[in-house]
Amino acid sequence: MKQADSSGQAAHSRNQRYDELAPLFVELASVSEQDPRREELRSKLVTEHLPVAEHIARRFSHRGESQEDLTQVATLGLINAVDRFDPDRGVDFLSYAVPTIMGEVRRHFRDTGWAVRMPRRLQELHLSVSSAISTLSQELGRAPTPTELAQHLGINRQDVYRGLEAGNAYRSASLDELLTDTDEIPLGDAIGENDSELAEVENREAIRPLLGELDERERRILVMRFFRSMTQTQIAEQIGISQMHVSRLLSRTLAWLRDRLETEAPDEPAEPKDG
Amino acid sequence: MSLERGLDVSASHPDRSQPQVERSGTPAASTVEVRVAAEAAQLAVMRAVIGDLAMRADFDVDTIADLRLAVDEACSSLVRLAAPESSLTCRFRCDGDDVSLSAEVRSAEAAAPRKDTFSWRVLSALADTVTTSVEPAEEAGDNVVRIDLVKGRTGHE
Repeated sequence: MKQADSSGQAAHSRNQRYDELAPLFVELASVSEQDPRREELRSKLVTEHLPVAEHIARRFSHRGESQEDLTQVATLGLINAVDRFDPDRGVDFLSYAVPTIMGEVRRHFRDTGWAVRMPRRLQELHLSVSSAISTLSQELGRAPTPTELAQHLGINRQDVYRGLEAGNAYRSASLDELLTDTDEIPLGDAIGENDSELAEVENREAIRPLLGELDERERRILVMRFFRSMTQTQIAEQIGISQMHVSRLLSRTLAWLRDRLETEAPDEPAEPKDG
Repeated sequence: MSLERGLDVSASHPDRSQPQVERSGTPAASTVEVRVAAEAAQLAVMRAVIGDLAMRADFDVDTIADLRLAVDEACSSLVRLAAPESSLTCRFRCDGDDVSLSAEVRSAEAAAPRKDTFSWRVLSALADTVTTSVEPAEEAGDNVVRIDLVKGRTGHE
């Protein structure tokens, strides 16, 4: 990961704080149950990772559960993750903790009657495919194909297909979304406000205010894809979210724009414009 | 006018909203034709078909995702123009290095979708080539409005 210098910086800094905690897990694994240092390490690790739990809780907040309850449930998941994490297994803590915390939150929803519909197996496939896309894109300098993903993950192509499709079929928040920290996206890039980008677009008068209503992130993604000719993979890397997430956001944004354009500025396809 | 008709495309409702799929051709260059009611809620089928074709032809994930977006955009434009109670027909073709879509509706309009719109801009960015055409339909007074698009395998430059 070291050689992914400038372009990978944003993603790197996001996890750096947590990476620095890794040695503490090694230490935690080595101290005995009776050692008072154990409790100390454990609380430090839980406390330092609390933002992860809070973030996951926030992501579920639109589903009608109180934020407080969700945070509590997510924190429980975090504590379980800290207790069960084995640093020798070669995965970093976040990769282990996020599914654990999510599992806890999901169980909570299930218990309280809220169904999160993506089956677990599919979810796992979706997530491994998603992260493989990001790893391989960096390695190859372009988006990978299903065959490359299958080889990389050591699974068959049918499973890659299912993992890819899961991202389209289910709207439930996936881990990549959960890990996305929108706060860290630099604002005020002045994109989408630049008239020259819309110059050839006849209905720009209708479009411009709509672009203004979009989330900063959604507007950036839209402009990067359609006015800067960036690929979804490049956008994903720049914004620090997964390619599949970029894809979903684009799809949603375009659908929203179509709806709004239709209701607010109906097309008049048969009428030639005046001068 | 039941809502469900537009939404549920996988269950076995024997009504006209059930997509009709025809496959033909050799495995190397197969054409899939899908016909659904010209309603926005039906477009998920079209997205799924093109996504599946591109995936199985081992296009890269960017191209697969772009094709889905392109189909959505093209079909949405057509659905808006479609005559009431009419169908949207898509012919998908995958021949090795290209996936192509030919989508058409019957419309009272005599004009093709405009090319100076945001929507067209989106389509042009997503596909390698996009064209549109209008020709008289068999039904008197109506026209067949069509959007054709092609997207190739991304060159591994």
